Amino acid sequence: MSRGSRAAAAVVAAAALALTACAPSAPEGEGSGDGGATGSGVGPLVVATTTDVVNFNPLIGNSRTDSWVTDLMYPRLLHINEDGEKEAALATDWGYSDDLTGYFEIRDDMSWSDGEPITAEDVAWTLQSVLDDQPAGTLLGQMGAVESVEAVSDTRVELHLSEPDAVVVPEVGFWAVVVPQHVFEPEGSLADFANDAPQADGSWVSAGPYALTEVQRGQSYTMERVEDYPLADDGAPNASEVVFRVYPDVNTELLALESGEVDLVANALPPSQVERLQSADGIEVAEVPGLGYAHLVYNMDEPRLAQVDVRRALAAAVDYDTIREVVLQGQAVSAGSNPLIPVLSQFAPEDAEEYAFDPQAARDLMASAGVDDTSFRLLYNLTDPVMAQAAQLMEEQAAEAGITLELDGRERNAYLAATDAGDYDVYLGNFAIMDDPVTNFRLSYLPGGVINYTHVDDPDLTALVEEAGRQLEVADQVPVMQEAAEIVKDQVYDNIMYTQNLYIAHSDEWSGFVVQPSELLSVVNPVSLANATTAG
Amino acid sequence: MAAPTRPSAQQPSEPSVDPAAEGATVEGVPGAQAAAVPGAPADVEQVAAGGSAARDTWRAFRRQPLGVLSLGVLGVLVAVAVLAPVLADYPSGTGSSVLAPPSAQHWFGTDNLGRDVFAQVVWGSRSSLLVAAGASALAIVLGTAVAVAGAWWPRLDALVGLVVDLVLSLPVLPLMILVAALVGPRTTTIVLVIAAFSWPEVTRVVRSLALTVVRLPYMDAARLLTPSATWIITRHLLPAVTPVVVVSVVLTASRAVLSAAGLAFLGLGDPRSWSWGRVLFEAQQAGAMSSAWWLTLFPSLAILALVLAATLASIAFNDARDPRSRVRR
Repeated sequence: MSRGSRAAAAVVAAAALALTACAPSAPEGEGSGDGGATGSGVGPLVVATTTDVVNFNPLIGNSRTDSWVTDLMYPRLLHINEDGEKEAALATDWGYSDDLTGYFEIRDDMSWSDGEPITAEDVAWTLQSVLDDQPAGTLLGQMGAVESVEAVSDTRVELHLSEPDAVVVPEVGFWAVVVPQHVFEPEGSLADFANDAPQADGSWVSAGPYALTEVQRGQSYTMERVEDYPLADDGAPNASEVVFRVYPDVNTELLALESGEVDLVANALPPSQVERLQSADGIEVAEVPGLGYAHLVYNMDEPRLAQVDVRRALAAAVDYDTIREVVLQGQAVSAGSNPLIPVLSQFAPEDAEEYAFDPQAARDLMASAGVDDTSFRLLYNLTDPVMAQAAQLMEEQAAEAGITLELDGRERNAYLAATDAGDYDVYLGNFAIMDDPVTNFRLSYLPGGVINYTHVDDPDLTALVEEAGRQLEVADQVPVMQEAAEIVKDQVYDNIMYTQNLYIAHSDEWSGFVVQPSELLSVVNPVSLANATTAG
Repeated sequence: MAAPTRPSAQQPSEPSVDPAAEGATVEGVPGAQAAAVPGAPADVEQVAAGGSAARDTWRAFRRQPLGVLSLGVLGVLVAVAVLAPVLADYPSGTGSSVLAPPSAQHWFGTDNLGRDVFAQVVWGSRSSLLVAAGASALAIVLGTAVAVAGAWWPRLDALVGLVVDLVLSLPVLPLMILVAALVGPRTTTIVLVIAAFSWPEVTRVVRSLALTVVRLPYMDAARLLTPSATWIITRHLLPAVTPVVVVSVVLTASRAVLSAAGLAFLGLGDPRSWSWGRVLFEAQQAGAMSSAWWLTLFPSLAILALVLAATLASIAFNDARDPRSRVRR
């Protein structure tokens, strides 16, 4: 399956560090894990965030703070390591026993905080309930090929598939969060259960390194260490407590970090603050590889944009280098305008060349398409600072090519609604996690796909994407996917601009964090917070 | 129309509206006399009387240093807005020095894209003053019309009072945010939204004066002369309330600037034009508020200067147009 060693992500990280041209502070993934201190005397780890937990049920659509907190409570079957590969977590082995059966073997040494062991029954019940109750969330979208789930022994779960599907097992393994059947089942539908009240003893039944014990809305979430957590290096978490504290915005978070009030800021740093904090006393900055991308999408329902020359003209009217250098301060990796982004090292073509910024070519293409009205409305989320500033630069760059980009920045919820309604000519946005290219292509480029913002329906592309999904070996998927990606790039069905590298600031008193890619996992993932320590 | 004709004996019990009513007499009474002889002479006389009152007010105003200074500050801000293209290049593109502190080259420093903050503040004054002018003009016209209509037609007044109280009791900021978010952040939207929530303040102030004025003897006299409500309202009632309207214009305008800056700071400003609120918003978004003080200081100072000057100027004008406070000086 998705194992095997890759080095490209490390190369990418090194290149990004070279670009920032300042003292690199490499993430301390391993090395500081001295065997001695097993938690004793390690004080609470205070983590800053900017929003409250909206949902304690990990299977309902989640915000980042929701994920950070519930990931410490409920285990995932698989994790993603720094190189973007799936690795064992609750599941120790996974794969397919035949074309229509996927399986997970799970650990037998983990138990819920009330003493009940975690069994394959819990896993099977969680997955089957997602199929039955259809809670809003990413997981359901990954389970299209799954017909039913059953526990065949205490440690083995089998997924029965409707058709051969090469990606369903690793994808479900990563996106599924296992919940305790004996607590959730009596509460009725998974889709409606808020899980916002503790048990009689004041805590939640969970199985992570820390157990939630106190909730003060708008202020803090206190989680106490558990005695036994097999995924930690020492078999138990180090810090006595993890406290999530809520701050109004990133400015106040950084002030709190600099004054020593918090030990870690969970939100990624704004690009312009990275350099300053890297050289600040008492603060270390961990680099977290991105696992998603920022892209421009051209709505083909608009007649002008249905013409490939118009899309090519728009793609030639953006100065990608300047956006990466200025808005992102060089903290981004070009995707070579290819949806197989470099961090997906098994798939990414080596010589992907980016669309060139060429205002004159854009003018010519626009003229050859016979389009006189060169005004397009650009939709973006204006509360995302990077997107908002990139949009401003794009407007000016497009003007050089005689193209008017009418900025239509909207507040987040209005932006999401407009995105769903297809209410845009050009869409500017980003995805945090695109861990599996086949799944990503299905959702993005098949007709009816939930993130098919281009509204593309190209039979050749569709055939290739479906073909790739039938290949059970990654090596067989690669050439098909590369061919599909070439169509996407040539036809400008999707304009992938870059993968942003993220930076997380923490106090230099703490070490031992384990970096996982994307802001969702970063150093706030359960393994990382279990291993974090002030010793050494 | 059974207009109430309560005698002026009521006046001492209402000291707050008394000076205003007196001010109204200065301008209103000559007009009422002239009405007896319609035609050109009336206009001449009215203009002359109005002119002399204005001259007195101006003379009194000039004697207040704070008022003159405020007016000067307002004048400078308007000049900066008008002359923006001369003073600075439009802030666009990117610069090489990012988050640089104030220097000879960049008087107010640079932001996180290396753009000149001085240029942003200068160009920001345009949209800020435009919003101030637009929103206050709309609010004044609507607010005054509603107030005068309520005062003139007593049956309407109960409704006007109710609507004003209702709108004044609404949580204005959340509603502004909601509307701006739903309709989309455009300068015209911002102007309309702010005006929609500002007019009741104007109505409340104007109405209290208008209610007093319609009961004065010269209004009864006017009613005897003509059945035309329009004529009496435009010739007598509106001039009588004009001084409070002038004060309201300035105060509403400065409040509009604050509201616009607040909305822009929340990300609901027009992303296509610079405003002082947008400079603050971008500083907050960049996470640079604690480390780059120049990003927040200068636009804040500009907002402070405008609001303070507008408030002081309106206080000075209010004192200057009041004959009794003139005598005291």
